[in-house]
Amino acid sequence: MLPFFFPSAGSRSKKDAPTVLENYPCQHFQVQVLADGFRRIVGELRSRRFDTWDWYQLARRADELAAQQNRAPGLLALDHLKERWERTGVVPYEHQIRTAEKVVHQLHGQAILADEVGLGKTIEAGLILKEYMLRGWAKKVLILTPANLVWQWYQELYEKFGIAAGIQRTQWDWEFADVLIASVDTAKREPHCSIISSIVYDLLIVDEAHKLKNSATASYRLVNSIQKKYCLMLTATPVQNDLRELYNLIGLLKPGQLGSFHSFKKRFMADKRTPKNPTELRQLLDEVMIRNRRQDGQISLPERVVHPLIVALQPQEQAIYERVTEFVKARGRRLGGSNMLPLITLQREVCSSFLATALTLEKMMAGLPQPELEEAAALLKDLAEVKQNSKCDALERLVSQFQDKAIIFTEYKASQEYIRYRLERAGYKTLAFDGSLSRGKKQWVRHLFQKEAQFLVSTESGGEGLNFQFCNLVVNFDLPWNPMRLEQRIGRVHRLGQTRDVHIYNLITKGTVEEHIMYLLHQKINMFESIIGELDAILLHLNLATSFESEIMKIFLENDEAAKIQEQLDHLAQRILQSRAAIRASSWEGLL
Amino acid sequence: MVLEFFELCGLRPVEIRRGVWQVQADDVLMKELDGWRAGARLLQFTFDSRLAAAYGADLISQGSYRLNTILNLIRRQGILSRAHIPHHLFHEPSIRRRILSSVQAGERAYVLTSSTLYGQYFQLELLAEAKGLQKKESLHTLVVNLSSGDILKFPFPSHLLQAGGVPAELVSRRRCSLKEAYLQAAAHIAQLFAEQDQSWAEEALAKIAQEEAKLKAFFQGKTNSSDYAAKRQELEHRLQPVLTIQAVRGALLFTPLFRYRLVVVGTDGRERTKAVSYDPIANLCLLD
Repeated sequence: MLPFFFPSAGSRSKKDAPTVLENYPCQHFQVQVLADGFRRIVGELRSRRFDTWDWYQLARRADELAAQQNRAPGLLALDHLKERWERTGVVPYEHQIRTAEKVVHQLHGQAILADEVGLGKTIEAGLILKEYMLRGWAKKVLILTPANLVWQWYQELYEKFGIAAGIQRTQWDWEFADVLIASVDTAKREPHCSIISSIVYDLLIVDEAHKLKNSATASYRLVNSIQKKYCLMLTATPVQNDLRELYNLIGLLKPGQLGSFHSFKKRFMADKRTPKNPTELRQLLDEVMIRNRRQDGQISLPERVVHPLIVALQPQEQAIYERVTEFVKARGRRLGGSNMLPLITLQREVCSSFLATALTLEKMMAGLPQPELEEAAALLKDLAEVKQNSKCDALERLVSQFQDKAIIFTEYKASQEYIRYRLERAGYKTLAFDGSLSRGKKQWVRHLFQKEAQFLVSTESGGEGLNFQFCNLVVNFDLPWNPMRLEQRIGRVHRLGQTRDVHIYNLITKGTVEEHIMYLLHQKINMFESIIGELDAILLHLNLATSFESEIMKIFLENDEAAKIQEQLDHLAQRILQSRAAIRASSWEGLL
Repeated sequence: MVLEFFELCGLRPVEIRRGVWQVQADDVLMKELDGWRAGARLLQFTFDSRLAAAYGADLISQGSYRLNTILNLIRRQGILSRAHIPHHLFHEPSIRRRILSSVQAGERAYVLTSSTLYGQYFQLELLAEAKGLQKKESLHTLVVNLSSGDILKFPFPSHLLQAGGVPAELVSRRRCSLKEAYLQAAAHIAQLFAEQDQSWAEEALAKIAQEEAKLKAFFQGKTNSSDYAAKRQELEHRLQPVLTIQAVRGALLFTPLFRYRLVVVGTDGRERTKAVSYDPIANLCLLD
């Protein structure tokens, strides 16, 4: 048996930084003679702990082999991760490997990874991190992400790269964890901010870096104050509205790369949206930014196949729907556009399930004046009497044809519970997935879904942060009015790693607002198939005064006739398509 | 190397089918290999990726997980060891003859007493990392004579070494401390790098100058601000060409030392005594 094992190096704080025994200049370089290894040898000698000669010889051969591995060109991480990726089903894409190689060997660890949405920026960053760790270039690493992505980062690093990062919970974690994932919002607050600024990091990774575009924000100041050797910034939208955003972002990464702002403005900005000297600017950007795009042709995702299923309501259901709609419109007009959220919710819920509608109506009643209160009470009573749910009947018929797993999305918890009740009653194994689950439980549910259950009934909040590429069937039991939320739902399964075509089944209740929404999203803007990855930029470009939902609600409230509503929606669709065209043609898109 | 590793752990891997090996690894070993969660298990391994896939055995090949865990474990061992070269490998009468003949012409020498001791050499394995725009690492093995502080210029005859130390009373006192030996060895490595191509350092310095100019432009000449200082420091931290040298492991090598007390009769007939030590490795006659 081994005589003893030398303890492995645990987490290293700044205080444990290597001690330099001698430091002197020698021609063009500085020589640093480190003390740590030597002290260990002397420590062994003092305690008279001698390893056997055979172990010593073997260790020397192991050193040689390890050094030989480290001298290999390309990415060491690919060899190291080969088995893990085979086991976990990760298939690295050519553009991801190319990006990692460029960052490591050409950009010297300072880059903005600006791939379009869904092209695997996290994989690229993980690959670079692993490479740096294997080569011994990075030990102290900080990953700053929005709070809702912390767990996803942890999971990805652990499962795909074998990196056991810590998640920041206390102020002690900053110093003692080698690889730490933290939320930007926590990090920018005191005392965390001061602690972070006092630590020298080997590598800093900032996810969703476009949130740092404004140099006056606390997040920007925090990242600017962090002492880092290498830095990666991840964003799909390095420029949204103003070229200054790009300047700020690059200034954070490599100050001076674009000169002072004054000179940048003079040399490269025709106006805040139009660059000049694009060739020169592109050259400078190439030194710090990598952007892979779908249209470059190297990345192909499977098809999205959309199946709209029109569900006709029973007369009783249709009557209730009409009454709720009437109630919403009357109240909406009375409120004159303010405090519309409960009404939007009510109008959306009535297309999902009457149970969800009843619950919201009950909550609303507390603040209603007398005549409306009576109307709401009567409505509530009638809602309770509806025993029919045509949409759920249609869902049951639909899923009976499925041979594979499917995710059923709904916006509402009450609908989720009702769907599960109906499917369980029909003999299917279902699981619930929603925002109230803890991170660990979400993982556990995902695991159970992969291994056992056939259907996962998920609410919108549960849809974010986890990926389900092993499943290729998505059922939208109700449609969110915001296309971004719809894209997030589909994005859970339609992303890198998905090998089969994704089938999207949309259940649309006939003669309701849902029909109009479907008309807008599917027929007019073909959102499901053609504007993947551009939606966030389009919505920003639209520059709506209120939310997208409110915009639709406004159209709905202001018009009673279906033809009029359609006309208004056509107009909105036109604006969306124009925005898309403008973004595609925008000079900075070409620049990136 | 892998089979040797298991044998040194006191385990004997069995080839259960052609190319697939099996060994019962105990709790301690598995924890060292796979972390604290791992427990004792029957470990199967192979050097062939097809067999690994077919039998579910751990693959041992360039970059594989199992090879890396084993390499890491091995590298945490053998920090300090010792070995010696026995006296009998050298022909003492020849040495004696050589000592006696080393006196000046016309003088005669007689051996009064003789003894055999051990001299000490310090073998150091050093990792040198040249960090510029990229980092290049190399391993160097140097042997320092602890009697003289000199670095051995020729390969140490490792084939003569036998495992283990020697009785402490037979070891001559060293005149050079281990720290001095280490610094001496480090200086030797630095000198080697200084004599070689230094384009790695020059490139890094040029890059620093280039980046510094950009930084100055960004700060519009306000180079006395703390922000500028922090960014400048970051730049140096990232690009400054540095050669770091650190000891990875070491070994004390005990080599024979033949000590003679001589009576030397001079040309004038006067007798004087002289103590001489002979180190056959360095081929040195030292006057005590």
